[in-house]
Amino acid sequence: MKTLLRRHGLALLCAALAICLPLCMEDSDYAMRIATMALIFAAASQCWNLSGGLANQISLGHAAFFGIGAYTSTLLYIHLEVSPWLGLVAGGMLAAVAAAMLSVILSRLKGHYYALATLAFAEVLRVVANSWSSVTGGPIGLTIPFKGDAPLAFQFSSPAGYYWISLGLLALCSLVFHRLASGASGYRLRAIRENEVAAEVSGIDTFRLKLRLNVLSGALMAMCGTVYAQFIYFFDPDSIFSLSGISVKVAMMSIIGGLGTLPGPILGAFFLVPLEELSTSFFSDTAGLAQCVFGIVLIAAILIQPRGLMAVWGLRHRFMKGART
Amino acid sequence: MTEPLLSVHELDVRFGGLAALSGVGFHMRAGEILGIVGPNGAGKTTLFNALVGVQRPTAGSILFQGRGISGLKPHVIARLGMTKTFQNSALFPEMSVLENVCTAALLHHRLAAAKKKAYGILERLELFDIAGEDVANLTFPQKALTELARAMATDPKILLLDEVMAALSHEEMDGVIAVIRRLREDDGIGFIVIEHHMRAILSLCDRLLVLSFGQVIAEGDPGEVVRHPDVIKAYLGDSAGAGHA
Repeated sequence: MKTLLRRHGLALLCAALAICLPLCMEDSDYAMRIATMALIFAAASQCWNLSGGLANQISLGHAAFFGIGAYTSTLLYIHLEVSPWLGLVAGGMLAAVAAAMLSVILSRLKGHYYALATLAFAEVLRVVANSWSSVTGGPIGLTIPFKGDAPLAFQFSSPAGYYWISLGLLALCSLVFHRLASGASGYRLRAIRENEVAAEVSGIDTFRLKLRLNVLSGALMAMCGTVYAQFIYFFDPDSIFSLSGISVKVAMMSIIGGLGTLPGPILGAFFLVPLEELSTSFFSDTAGLAQCVFGIVLIAAILIQPRGLMAVWGLRHRFMKGART
Repeated sequence: MTEPLLSVHELDVRFGGLAALSGVGFHMRAGEILGIVGPNGAGKTTLFNALVGVQRPTAGSILFQGRGISGLKPHVIARLGMTKTFQNSALFPEMSVLENVCTAALLHHRLAAAKKKAYGILERLELFDIAGEDVANLTFPQKALTELARAMATDPKILLLDEVMAALSHEEMDGVIAVIRRLREDDGIGFIVIEHHMRAILSLCDRLLVLSFGQVIAEGDPGEVVRHPDVIKAYLGDSAGAGHA
């Protein structure tokens, strides 16, 4: 029991909080919506953390998969009345194919070049979605027809339904992360992250492992896109394929929370999403002030703790260990 | 006569207009220790990179156990039985000594067996006591031996050591030489060794190959090769080579 608490203390604490949160916020739809948004972004950031944190594949184009998921499920629902639950799977599969192709094409690129190429991929999709009005609705975007309380159509009358689905999605993404980060694949991925040539010479098929990571990351990211679209009911190409609103945001959450760690993206999302909301509500009178405050707090957080919020957890452990001895 | 374990024929590596290797050829038998020397920029590390698949050759062939391996990926060549250590330590910096070795042992084993194998190798190389140590805290000789241990974990038939004895004292160098000899005798591993320390090369190698400007200028018994006029010229310049001849 003691070992379980020591090894998974933070994860257990997060799980307990996540389960208790809806009970405490039953009367506040607004708070539930913020918590749900934080869960969706935590899941999306965990997807980014799969490739960016585990294999150092720093992507600035994860919005591409997010958008593929949102557009696939929404278009299937609007035009063919296919349930978004099936759209979720279809979007995931389509994004997996896109991620596999992108991974093969970009396999020789590293570092900044890889980041820029992924950014370009998301930008291409944004331009295509804006231009192909007959299918995507163009810059006007897509609105999901409201059906009221219809769980089969992925619609719920209270935010709690979305909350539990988002929590389930985060659990799925975190489980995939945990499976890959531990055991033999964990050793191999850490080796790739730390020295790819040495890893390859030591017998690790770096191409195949990165391909597998990217496919999983893309597919799960698309599922996050579907849940996000169903939750907010409306999106357009500029918001769903957004560089700052999605791609950079999910990367920032992992980096601020703790890159390559399981709780990192969760801590990052639950720090950044409420922070963004608070700065918007407190400084909404002056145009741009909210964004400035948000940016300053982000810079301060990175300067104070460059290794992320997870490092604070590590310091707490060391402090407690020191106090016991 | 037995077939050579490794045969290199007319190997060329070009970087644009620069010929890093040109028409390099040699053979190596199982369990042999082959030394490679040459001035800086002679193409020694490029040759290693071409042998293990890090650098794709422009022309020529590499036969390992009778099979053409030119152009194969490094992890495939490692699986076949040839890997290398790096000129500048390329250990995985945020892993412990055990984890570094275990990662390579996963090539042929599942995790539990890989850990067991890694412990065994560390014990043989007298690194068992520092198994849990982060590699960032290691001394030069410990880093060199850990690189050797990691490469050993892939079960190589030929191991390429790129200046593994650089920055070591004479005593430390003797220790590494003893380890290499023991591994050859116990496991039958062949070694190709790039080294600048002539003392180490002369005491360790069965045969010596000298590279200069990407070409083989001498090959044979180490004692004879180091007295070859072309080798002296490559190291000390034209007047020294002519004077010696």
